[in-house]
Amino acid sequence: MVTEGRPSVAAGSSGSGVAAGADHRSAHAARRSDWFLSRANLGVLIDVLHEDGRTVIGPTVVDNAIVYDELQSVADLPVGLGDEQAPGHYRIVERGDQRAFGFTVGPISPKRWLFPSPLSVNVGSRDGRSVAFDRVPNDPPKLAFLGVRACELAAMGIHDRVLLGGPYTDEDYRARRENALVIAVNCTAAGATCFCTSMGTGPEARDGFDLALTELDDGFVVQVGSPAGADLVARLPVRAADTEQASSAAEAVARVAQEIGDPVPIAGLHDRLLAQFDSPEWARIAERCLSCANCTMVCPTCFCNTIIQQSALDGQTSTSERIWDSCFTAGFARVAGGNFRSRPRDRYRQWLTHKFATWVDQFDSFGCVGCGRCITWCPVGIDVRAELQAIAPPLAPRPEPTKPRPVAAAPGSYVTGRVMAVHQETVDVTTLTVGALDDPFLAGEPGQFAMVDLPSFPQLPISISRYGRDTVDFTIRAAGPATAALTGLGPGDELGLRGPLGAPWPIERAMVHDVVIVTGGIGLAPLRPLIDALLAQRDRFDAIRLYYGARTPGDQLYREELRGWAARGDMEVELTVDRADDTWTGPVGVVTHLFDRTTWEGSRSLAFVCGPERMMEATVDELYARGLAPDRIFVTLERHMQCGIGLCGHCQMGRLFVCRDGPVFALSDLGDIFGREGI
Amino acid sequence: MPTAAARPRLRVGVAKMASCDGCQLTLLDLEDELLGLAERFEIVEFPEASSARSAGPFDVLLVEGSVSTADQAVEIVELRKQAKRMVTIGACANHGGIQALRNWSDHDAFRAAVYAHPEYIESLATATPVSDYVTVDAELNGCPISPIQLRELLASVAIGRRPQIREESVCLACKRRSVVCVMVSQGIPCLGPVTQSGCGALCPRFGRGCYGCYGPKEQANAAGLGRAFEYGGREGAEVSRLFAGFTGWAPPFREVIDAHGGPPGRTNGRANDQTNGQASDHASDGGGARMEDPGHAR
Repeated sequence: MVTEGRPSVAAGSSGSGVAAGADHRSAHAARRSDWFLSRANLGVLIDVLHEDGRTVIGPTVVDNAIVYDELQSVADLPVGLGDEQAPGHYRIVERGDQRAFGFTVGPISPKRWLFPSPLSVNVGSRDGRSVAFDRVPNDPPKLAFLGVRACELAAMGIHDRVLLGGPYTDEDYRARRENALVIAVNCTAAGATCFCTSMGTGPEARDGFDLALTELDDGFVVQVGSPAGADLVARLPVRAADTEQASSAAEAVARVAQEIGDPVPIAGLHDRLLAQFDSPEWARIAERCLSCANCTMVCPTCFCNTIIQQSALDGQTSTSERIWDSCFTAGFARVAGGNFRSRPRDRYRQWLTHKFATWVDQFDSFGCVGCGRCITWCPVGIDVRAELQAIAPPLAPRPEPTKPRPVAAAPGSYVTGRVMAVHQETVDVTTLTVGALDDPFLAGEPGQFAMVDLPSFPQLPISISRYGRDTVDFTIRAAGPATAALTGLGPGDELGLRGPLGAPWPIERAMVHDVVIVTGGIGLAPLRPLIDALLAQRDRFDAIRLYYGARTPGDQLYREELRGWAARGDMEVELTVDRADDTWTGPVGVVTHLFDRTTWEGSRSLAFVCGPERMMEATVDELYARGLAPDRIFVTLERHMQCGIGLCGHCQMGRLFVCRDGPVFALSDLGDIFGREGI
Repeated sequence: MPTAAARPRLRVGVAKMASCDGCQLTLLDLEDELLGLAERFEIVEFPEASSARSAGPFDVLLVEGSVSTADQAVEIVELRKQAKRMVTIGACANHGGIQALRNWSDHDAFRAAVYAHPEYIESLATATPVSDYVTVDAELNGCPISPIQLRELLASVAIGRRPQIREESVCLACKRRSVVCVMVSQGIPCLGPVTQSGCGALCPRFGRGCYGCYGPKEQANAAGLGRAFEYGGREGAEVSRLFAGFTGWAPPFREVIDAHGGPPGRTNGRANDQTNGQASDHASDGGGARMEDPGHAR
């Protein structure tokens, strides 16, 4: 009865944890009224669970560790005990208090019960020429998990997606999951190997539980997470938690989060890691890794398994069992004739890239919840946090690439800048260097633009073509009266600015990739600050290739800089023109023909493209042909932008506002609207 | 196809080299299975169990023990000719056994020290695996071997398929049984991470470190584990002693032993005499000592 209507994997035929999560979110939102259970009454909770015929699985001391096992009574809880954890190290320690949950996680997770090993699968038999296979029924026990941590709830959610969320499901798992009640405990102690904060799973239990306890000195703040949890609370000697208790609980959990910090910066981790298949680090790790598989065995999300058989001597019957297996074992990737991952370095790479990259592609989340078990229980203390850092180093410690807050955004609220210098690029293109700006304006990012205004002229979106120390450049083609007025300004003249606006080039995604920049005509202008930024931290990127086409040699922008970039030696610069003149000895033709001048492989590259839309379409086709995926091709689009902040509607493109959501887009974000006529 | 029962019984023999006979007695430990085995197999040579003898041929010949005398070196070649399938059983036959520790020492000096008339002792200077002399079709590991694996081997022969012997570390057996790691939780040095499974994690289940009697697992990074022991505060000689057990002569373990000055108690260093000679003299008394945590150093 208790489980009926409980928001869990039971919900719906789709059977995925996603649905359960949605239910729990609503429960979370509605959990304003928390309860308080005194320490003396904790035993009542266990007794009530027993009354319901449940086996209670909770923390207790077995063989020198605090592990999940069957609890007979409250006396089995590890009261007053904590744990000391480090890479390859675990010890139980005395806390000197009466806390029942003053530790983090041990080597055993609820996986032991929800995804048991061994699990009887079937009995096969042969009778003459007939064969039969009889399934072995595994009646799921009626369990209650007590003390489940936020990271472990997240692991259950991952198993729900893996084992129930796809086209084929594990019905044994489903039955066990549906039959289990989950009483979570919010962590009030941080372990030295924990990194739930980085993985976004803890330390606070947010959903996926029936009840969640937060331990205080004198008792427990109790949150209800499901109807079954509410039924349970109704039978417990609880009173409403007062505000002081509620805030103490929240503070305790917040302290843990602060203590753990952010040991594994996950921004861009998927791509960073997949770019490192050939890293020398894998061999270095293999000098330490024993391929003993402990990390996968203690992992609460690792689900790889093998069916083993035991045959009768006459070969007429055999029983099959499912056991936990691991990508670190010899037979795991072996076929007749060889082993796809014979070397330990290959196995470690498989494991790490699965957990932190390809799992995301398969199941829409990391395969890691940051519980730290693989670190603590590695016999040689390999620390996955450090290895991720070594193999796929995060970006330089700088703020996330959030859009800088524009100094002036709303139409009408301009700041002024003053033209400091004017440089004639071509017959009709001029670069204005504008100074006397507010600092925030200077903190803009490559790819952003400003709305530029001269009174009585229409405001224009102009890309920022360079960030100087205290100036920004605008490179403008005199195409009409307003642009002609702008290019006609001289040093000392003022102009109105709003910005910087729009999404920048995602430079951080290009780290450890080859960078391909393809542009035409004045399209080089918004790419110049990108090139500046790439060259400023040159060693963070692999090859940099610039392909630039112009109508005529005289239409090339930044001619001196082009020569300078080509002379650096660490950047490939290829130029072409549509029509040569007698000064030109280089290639003639479309820009994509330049790709063939050197050999390069698209799968290692990220592309940044800016130019006329037809040119970008042709370029994108070529990039696809070279193996670039659409999420690694970035284009900047031109549309009629007026407000620059997504409020006027001019630049709408499908579901997007080019000014606000772009102008830089990944092709994967644009989908089939890119290059489509009439959008 | 003919049914299994219609096939003729397979001729099984049991032979031994230098060994304690514990492995071959595992065959008798298959008590509940013996009648079933007798339907499929005819045991024609098994001196520990029967006075009936046979010199072959054998469909399956189980060979125990390492090659330790000149006579054995001849005999094993002869046995190989008689055996359709030769299966070596146990740490001695597969890895040399505990007696292979003499391989690091002066054989003649040992003989002279132990026996009043060493001239009567006709042993080779080394005790080495059967596979050093002849081709072996399968190996069952352990000291002694596992009855479960022996049964699986015989069943696979009877059925005509490959034996399902898992190639993995002892750690998987520990974890599947919810045994808490003795190394991580207590600092007890354990060879389990680099040792082939099959024992059901017997030692860790009783709070002891694995001493590697099943021998190195495939791709065993024994050197990596040795370094972890050192980081845990152990001397080279202690590390050497940990690996210098029943399967110390197996190459991955042997390399660690050699790199740490050879096994304790040796009388004449064949290898690395110069590295750590005097440390080995007092290295054998470290049993039961705990180590500090591995892995903090990199």
